[in-house]
Amino acid sequence: MSGVAERAELRWAILVVAIVAILVGMMVYMSLHWAAMPPSRVETIDPTTLHLAGEFVEDNLGTAVEPNGSVTVRIVGNQYSFTPQCVLVPTDTPVTIRATSADVVHGFNIAKTNVNVMLVPGYIATFRTRFKEPAELAMPCHEFCGVGHAGMWANVKVIDKAQFYKQAANARRQSCVK
Amino acid sequence: MSDERLFSLKNVWFTASVGAVLGVLVVAAGVGFLWIPLAQSEKTAAGLWDAICTAAGVPAAFRQVQRPTTPVAIPSNVIVSAQLMKPADSQSIGRGATLAMQCTVCHGARGMSRADSPNLAGQHDAAIYKQLRDYKSGHRKSAIMQPLVAGLGDQEMRDLAAYYSYLPREERATAGDSETPLIVRNGSPMRNIAACTACHGGSDGKTGSPRLDGEPEAYIRAQLQAFASGARRNDIQGQMRNVARQMTNEEIDAAARYYASR
Amino acid sequence: MLSDGARRLILAHFWVAFAAFVVALILGEWQMYIRSPLAGWIGNPELYYRSVTAHGSAMGYVFPTLVAMGFGYAISELALKQPLIGRRWAWAGFGLVVVGTVTAMAPVSMGLASVLYTFYPPMIANAFFYIGIVLVVVGSWIWVALMSINLHAWKKAHAGEPIPLPMFAAVAGAYLWAWTSVGASVEILFQILPVALGFKTTIDAGLARVFFSWTLHAIVYFWLMPTYIAFYTLVPRAIGGRLYSDAMARIAFVLFLVFSMPIGMHHLFQDPQVGSGMKFLHAVFTAMVSIPTFLTIFTICASVEIAARLRGGTGILGWIKALPWANPMMLAVTFSFVMLGFGGAGGLINMTYQLDFAIHNTQWITGHFHLIFGGAIVIMYFAIAYDLWPHLTGKALDSVRLMRAQLWLWFVGMIVMTFPWHIVGILGMPRRMAYFDYDHPAITPQAIYVTITFFGGLLLLVSAILFVVVLVRGHLGSRIALPEFRFSMPVHATTRVPVALNSFALWLALMIGLTVVNYGYPIVQLMALEQTSVPAVPIGVK
Repeated sequence: MSGVAERAELRWAILVVAIVAILVGMMVYMSLHWAAMPPSRVETIDPTTLHLAGEFVEDNLGTAVEPNGSVTVRIVGNQYSFTPQCVLVPTDTPVTIRATSADVVHGFNIAKTNVNVMLVPGYIATFRTRFKEPAELAMPCHEFCGVGHAGMWANVKVIDKAQFYKQAANARRQSCVK
Repeated sequence: MSDERLFSLKNVWFTASVGAVLGVLVVAAGVGFLWIPLAQSEKTAAGLWDAICTAAGVPAAFRQVQRPTTPVAIPSNVIVSAQLMKPADSQSIGRGATLAMQCTVCHGARGMSRADSPNLAGQHDAAIYKQLRDYKSGHRKSAIMQPLVAGLGDQEMRDLAAYYSYLPREERATAGDSETPLIVRNGSPMRNIAACTACHGGSDGKTGSPRLDGEPEAYIRAQLQAFASGARRNDIQGQMRNVARQMTNEEIDAAARYYASR
Repeated sequence: MLSDGARRLILAHFWVAFAAFVVALILGEWQMYIRSPLAGWIGNPELYYRSVTAHGSAMGYVFPTLVAMGFGYAISELALKQPLIGRRWAWAGFGLVVVGTVTAMAPVSMGLASVLYTFYPPMIANAFFYIGIVLVVVGSWIWVALMSINLHAWKKAHAGEPIPLPMFAAVAGAYLWAWTSVGASVEILFQILPVALGFKTTIDAGLARVFFSWTLHAIVYFWLMPTYIAFYTLVPRAIGGRLYSDAMARIAFVLFLVFSMPIGMHHLFQDPQVGSGMKFLHAVFTAMVSIPTFLTIFTICASVEIAARLRGGTGILGWIKALPWANPMMLAVTFSFVMLGFGGAGGLINMTYQLDFAIHNTQWITGHFHLIFGGAIVIMYFAIAYDLWPHLTGKALDSVRLMRAQLWLWFVGMIVMTFPWHIVGILGMPRRMAYFDYDHPAITPQAIYVTITFFGGLLLLVSAILFVVVLVRGHLGSRIALPEFRFSMPVHATTRVPVALNSFALWLALMIGLTVVNYGYPIVQLMALEQTSVPAVPIGVK
């Protein structure tokens, strides 16, 4: 009896280890082949002087075209809006989001995508993604940031690649803020 | 059992548990710090050590991103934080009272305007000080205010802020009741309009945001319209432009009327 | 048998715990109503966040801590069969928890501390909120010390004997809590309080999040401990069976000790202040902590099957019919397992790095931890109270039908509440918002689910009221001659236990060592960064 019981326990233990190994293996596979690791090179920045100079001054926010054809979106969060409050991105193009906070902890997700970023004051968050098809998506602040938190919703507009690059010829930075 | 030593290589529990934990650790660290970062950095041809440092989180600048260097317009050169103002002493308030003599024509003898200039009595000192600085630096435009503040030093602006915030203004009921317009107490989430009360008092405050209760209706409306059009842009991170741009004319009217009536 | 002094002590813990629980539950249901399409937008959103702060602090810090403390003292007397040593100190610890709760809740109720129970620096609330939380934790540390002292006194008198399983598990839980609570305590004492008291004006929010993650995940295993102790030591006896394996139970508990702490950074997958290698490391160890739960599922299912077969059950699955389904403990453990299964599956998704990006900080997360904590864990707290109550009051507890109704309501309510929560999370609905614009086309599809969650919450509220009714009726019942309290017996009597499973030194060493390895570098590196301290943002200054 005791032997049977122990064999059953052992079989279960092996199964458990196998389940865990498969899960971790899946994670490794996705990391290697989908590059789905957050490229979090830790980068610091002074949140109080974002508006004075450097990468996140107002005129630099929005979507910029890089020499290699990809785009970079720069976003600053503060109580209680993201700037730009409407983010314009092209379809089918590598997008690098660089974002930080000017005051407290914020964060955002873009509905129906895997874009999910925390903005911690003092640090720059970087996230790479790609948008498949034209869409208008909600981009709420998803971390409690004070009493006005419920009003902190931005938007994302994904437009056709060709149209985006046509507009880019005349604009240093693009956004869909009206 | 008492003769069984736990921390000994002969104890199978000790060797197995420590070995297993170390094994998992080494494998996980190998994958997380070497294999994946190296595989991902192929395109950028960074070295092994660089890959390890990135994975560990050593602070450094991100390589592949170009940093814009073009000179740009900035909204304000004030650094706003909760430490912007020190608690005022009576001397500062006294000096402010003297300086304020030249403000009485528009802002009233005791900080209550009879024209449509803002009432300053009881205004937050940080809000007054920030606007004075912005007038002086030209980030906020005004044909009247800019010449008046041109000669003021930093301490003088602090004194004025201290004096006006010290002056009393009568208190009214708190915000959030049923008569408060929806746009003031809740804003409009999907248009990114937060509740006015989250920054301007009622629910909470935000350093640098003025209290609006009792301010002239025409002044509030004019400022909201200026923020909406971009004629006024001294709000850091576009915090007011982002809101005002989204408001309808009716909402601007409702908010202005409501605050003026308080 | 419990001494009279211990009974009063344990009852005090339980009643304050359940009072905090009911108050927090009412607040929670109010929050569900306020943010649902059933209510208009709340006029003063600050009230909502005030309520969330109170709900989270009471449910996270006060209620489970007091249950663990009271249950721990009960186990110490019942399992060791010796009077509790240090009863005055136990009352002092209890007093600190109560005083701390009042101290923390005063500024919360005045709207001076609406920062939520997760603190969120650089937002800084009234200092008394944090001081109150510290007092609660210090009170619980007295309990940790007493559990250890009582065990050592017993060991001295019973050299070489195996520690009774319930005590072994309870002390494991106490040590786990002692080390878990260090993270948030460091955050409060060295980062937040100096700012809240005005000695400093800046704070490193990224570092604070790292410290908090140390506590935030393992605290769930502290909440879980009483539940697992009940699985192993109460359930088999209550349903007329035997514990399948005493050694496996001990292994499960020591695995929790080792793997609970060094995994908290899976709460920071999206954060910019931690390197991706560290995140991967924590993800792997998060997978490890599922092992003790898997082992528990096997051992308890086997134990339940033993009970069924002892009652004449036969067949591969036919034995399930033979189980004592009228027994509240049987119902509770079944419901708990179902919720643990769904919640655990959700947890595996949260742990898997890439999948987590779809749901981080959405309502999915709220649904997940309510299902695990509010569901799988708390339903066993009810069962523990029902099991112990006659031994605490000396009176019969015979409202069995009410108990069954209460457990059913809790189970159904929790499913109805948390499943739609998961769905709106996948749809991208963020958590912790006081109101939503359901008229907007992007949100309209979520309205129906949010409405359903409110009704689930309503069932929970009714269930909680029934729970209190059952306990109060227990106090009013007729006095009975109590049988001796028994814990479950293993199938094979425990005569000899390897020293590794009869002591904690090895596991504590691994616990601390692994935490140092997994947290050491990020903490040291962030502390060395000078420019990342950012200005505090005071909250509640109108």
